[in-house]
Amino acid sequence: MLDLVKQKAKEILEKKEADGVLGLRKGPFDVIHPHVFTTPAELDALVLEPKWLFAKMARSILRAKPAAYRLAVVLRGCDERAVVELVKRSQIDRERLLTIGYACGAEQAKACLCSRPYPEKLDAGEAVAGVDPFADERVKAFLEGDPVLRMEKWADQLRRCIKCYGCRNSCPICICVPCKLEDDVWVERGVIPAEMVSFHLIRAFHLSDTCVACGACQEACPVGIPLMTLQLSMRAALKKDYNYEAGLDADRKSPVLFDFIQEPRPGQNVPDWVDSTGKKP
Amino acid sequence: MNPEFIRTICPYCGTGCGIVLKVEGGRAAASYPDRENPVSRGSLCVKGWFSHEFVHHPERLTAPLLRKGDAFVKISWEEAVALAARKLRETADKYGPDSVGGLSSAKCTNEENYLFQKLIRAAFRTNNVDHCARLCHAATTVGMLQTLGSGAMTNSISDLAGADCILFIGSNAAESHPVLMGEVYKALDRGAKMFVIDPRETPVARNARKLLRLNPGTDIPLLAGMMRHIVDSGLHAKDFIEKRTENFDALRTFLAAWPLDKVASETGIDEATIREVAETYAKAENAALVYCMGITQHACGVANVIAICDLAMLCGQVGKPFSGIYPLRGQNNVQGACDMGALPNLYPGYQGVADPAVREKFRKAWKADLSDKPGKTVTELINAAGKDIRALYIMAENPCISDPDVNHVMEALQRLDFLIVQDIFLTETAKFAHLVLPGACFAEKTGTYTNTERRFQLLHKAVDPPGKAMGDFEILCLMGKALGLPFDYASPAEVMAEYAGLVPAYAGISFERLERAGLQWPCPDENHPGTRFLHGTTFTRGLGRFVIPDYTPPMEKPDAEYPYYLNTGRVFAHYHTGTMTRRSAFLNREIEDPYVEIHPEDAAALGVGPGDWIRVTSRRGSIVTTARISDRVVKGSIFAPFHFTEARANMLTNPVLDPACKTPEYKVCAVKMEKDHEAKAR
Amino acid sequence: MTSAAANTNILVFACRWCGLIGADGAGRRRTELPTSLRIIPVECAGYVEPDAVIRAFASGAAGVAVLGCHVGGCRFNDANHPALKRLELLKTLLDATGIGGNRLLLGFGTAHEYHQWADTIRDFHKHVEGLPSMKSWLPATQ
Repeated sequence: MLDLVKQKAKEILEKKEADGVLGLRKGPFDVIHPHVFTTPAELDALVLEPKWLFAKMARSILRAKPAAYRLAVVLRGCDERAVVELVKRSQIDRERLLTIGYACGAEQAKACLCSRPYPEKLDAGEAVAGVDPFADERVKAFLEGDPVLRMEKWADQLRRCIKCYGCRNSCPICICVPCKLEDDVWVERGVIPAEMVSFHLIRAFHLSDTCVACGACQEACPVGIPLMTLQLSMRAALKKDYNYEAGLDADRKSPVLFDFIQEPRPGQNVPDWVDSTGKKP
Repeated sequence: MNPEFIRTICPYCGTGCGIVLKVEGGRAAASYPDRENPVSRGSLCVKGWFSHEFVHHPERLTAPLLRKGDAFVKISWEEAVALAARKLRETADKYGPDSVGGLSSAKCTNEENYLFQKLIRAAFRTNNVDHCARLCHAATTVGMLQTLGSGAMTNSISDLAGADCILFIGSNAAESHPVLMGEVYKALDRGAKMFVIDPRETPVARNARKLLRLNPGTDIPLLAGMMRHIVDSGLHAKDFIEKRTENFDALRTFLAAWPLDKVASETGIDEATIREVAETYAKAENAALVYCMGITQHACGVANVIAICDLAMLCGQVGKPFSGIYPLRGQNNVQGACDMGALPNLYPGYQGVADPAVREKFRKAWKADLSDKPGKTVTELINAAGKDIRALYIMAENPCISDPDVNHVMEALQRLDFLIVQDIFLTETAKFAHLVLPGACFAEKTGTYTNTERRFQLLHKAVDPPGKAMGDFEILCLMGKALGLPFDYASPAEVMAEYAGLVPAYAGISFERLERAGLQWPCPDENHPGTRFLHGTTFTRGLGRFVIPDYTPPMEKPDAEYPYYLNTGRVFAHYHTGTMTRRSAFLNREIEDPYVEIHPEDAAALGVGPGDWIRVTSRRGSIVTTARISDRVVKGSIFAPFHFTEARANMLTNPVLDPACKTPEYKVCAVKMEKDHEAKAR
Repeated sequence: MTSAAANTNILVFACRWCGLIGADGAGRRRTELPTSLRIIPVECAGYVEPDAVIRAFASGAAGVAVLGCHVGGCRFNDANHPALKRLELLKTLLDATGIGGNRLLLGFGTAHEYHQWADTIRDFHKHVEGLPSMKSWLPATQ
């Protein structure tokens, strides 16, 4: 698979379809770090592990370059979905970005509890079956069962937060300037743990319809808070109520913000009245 | 130009997280966590995430500065180095070799620290070299040397994840060593029990099973009470004590003086809790003791450390994985600065200055005569300024904020004939210098830092220093040569080769090996993988020794005139004297104003509301700061972070020292407070 | 009123075209209502950002109600429809964390008569009063 990725990347540079390829380089002493490859020869040093996500980095590289610059990116599934979300929000110009998608292995899928461990545009590797995150014991412990116990369980985890902002900084979709989490009207500044309700629920909700379950937040969290799990229920609700999954279709925008009732999608149910207590008026 | 991604190590705390700096157009533009770093494994704290922000700040020093009257004028490097060498040499010639001194830097690399202490020792034949470890873990070095034979953290950070019981004493690691807490929480998720001993309800305490909110400075009675109960219950590790330790009978006698009722009354902790914590620690298969400034920054700091070591040895919790004693070293390279011998009584590798054989070894290696007299410590150097000490060379340290009683420090520095300060910004200390040398920050140098678990880690230079500023390694080579020393090192790697040849424990360490991964000393040869935990078969000194801790209650307690306890320390968004973090936009916005934590009842009594300006005064000085109403502190106590230059907590602190290690008692003194009626408009 | 009831803070966002009319009517008739109630009038339920609801919980509200016009009857070109969708999703998040989506009452087109309004609010208050405290999620006094 690696050889195929290298080959495709080299072709892109040789045909001048892009000016650079963003990926991981294994340098001297086997040290691995992100790199923008500019020549086919350099690409011999391309590797695909460990799991670095490049969507946000690709965006910042493109912003720093003139309009004619085109970048190719080596992406795994979740990374591609993050790119799609950024494209939807006009953060990345589709015309300037090429992707070389590769499939994750079964081990990686299991480690990330990933239900879709392959990009839609799969250029290398065999797609393996996804894993159902809701079948995972730890996820179940946080999402199923007595709500009062779970409320305390979540609080115990969030009390460990050291307000590193790693979840926000590493999330490929979190690109807002200014960020609401830094505004002390919304979140109290200068104290840890970060406010459980304001910081964490505002952050989680802002990602509700755009989280691609890449797990970067959870992996960046120094204290192991199950941040991705926080998003799973909302993702499932969007799938159930709107048949929507973030990151799959760059032309379908979030049903929560779009899909107005004047132009309902086929099959969309528009309620006449709503009372969440279930009582009729 | 495409962005480059350079691997380096965080310049803030002793955890030593790995950072990948994104460099664009010669500027450090972003920080990413290094996924391959074994300590941080893809995480960073907020300071690490914004480590690049201060690097290109407009206030960076860009040229050597000479003081002319009240102003500084830029001069060339030739002039600056020649002047520095001449002035230091003249001072030494006129007043004797011990009239010159140097403060090395716990922020600079190992190679720079090694060169600094070599310069002071070889050029001037004095041992007047020290650094800020004096202000923090000197008690650890002195105390652990007596009990175990080595002052370094006994285990690795990752060992914490496997502990069954973790005791935190005087450590707020969630704010001072944040990423390290990840390992602690892994242990808690496995069912480990954590207790926190601290007069303050820190974020660590809020995640613990229990907080023991002891009276300030009563750690020895509490530890003695725990040990007494453990021995009385027969829970001590008899086999371990018999085979691996000595002097147990003396400990028994000492413990006889601390029955639990006396301990309870001295510490304010009830007997049942003392028993519970003691039993949990003693019965755990693997138990870890984590401590920090709350233990060392007392007038009996050394004794506190000794008591901790006694407890660990009593229960056989040293010398194996997942247990041990964890003194959390503060600065990114304070462990390294100590390892490299930037200490008045120790050469690199903790070899004694007073030992003739050792001195001869270094004399031969450095081709210079060396003094046999241990030199002055940081606190003594400052006190003696203008008297025994006439000239000081300070590299990247800021005693005008970090030393106790800073009014006194500022007076003292002004008495010097010549003061050289080498730093990256014009710090509060640099403002008193006769000569300022512009150095380089972490992003601008290749070299090594040693983190708190004895791990040498390699930094790679990512950007050039601004203007004419130079790497501290380069500056020291110029200074050394100007002073007649053969400082012809082609690169820091050569410096490492030199010190590795002089210290058996570092002999297997080289830049080349470090490119792949960090190495924990002792690492005696090039095939040795480094050492995860110490004292495995024997202690460094042979048998572990139960030393009797000499309990000294706090030297200045509240009284009628100064009725509140003052505690000082750190917060998560800033670092030490704030030289870097106060110039980082994100960090400075997170915590912008100086503050002290005041208990709600005390605030109400003073008529103070949240954010109000208040004046806090001690016998040493006075500051105006804002009030943060919080029940983290108990009634009658306040807590002041020491990061804020405009309201220096160290204006207030007591410069009384632990006589054995010369560390100041930062954690306890007495203050009074009042609402500030001439409050500045906000 | 019991102290538990008095401590059960309810915040109501009421759109002035529907929800507020019910509130106003209830007030005029001096209908008995819980005292720990605050009403924020808004031009439209679509004006209520979910972050404000979250902030209400962070500030100590035990329950939050958002009352608007029925879907299809919004004065502002169906702005209440995306509002409803967003807030439904917020309920999902509240359920996921165990805090409970049932702390968030959504009444779109159900509370413009004064008696409807009063019943809805009283029932909601009673319901929330019986829920366990969210204290562990809120900061200790600063």
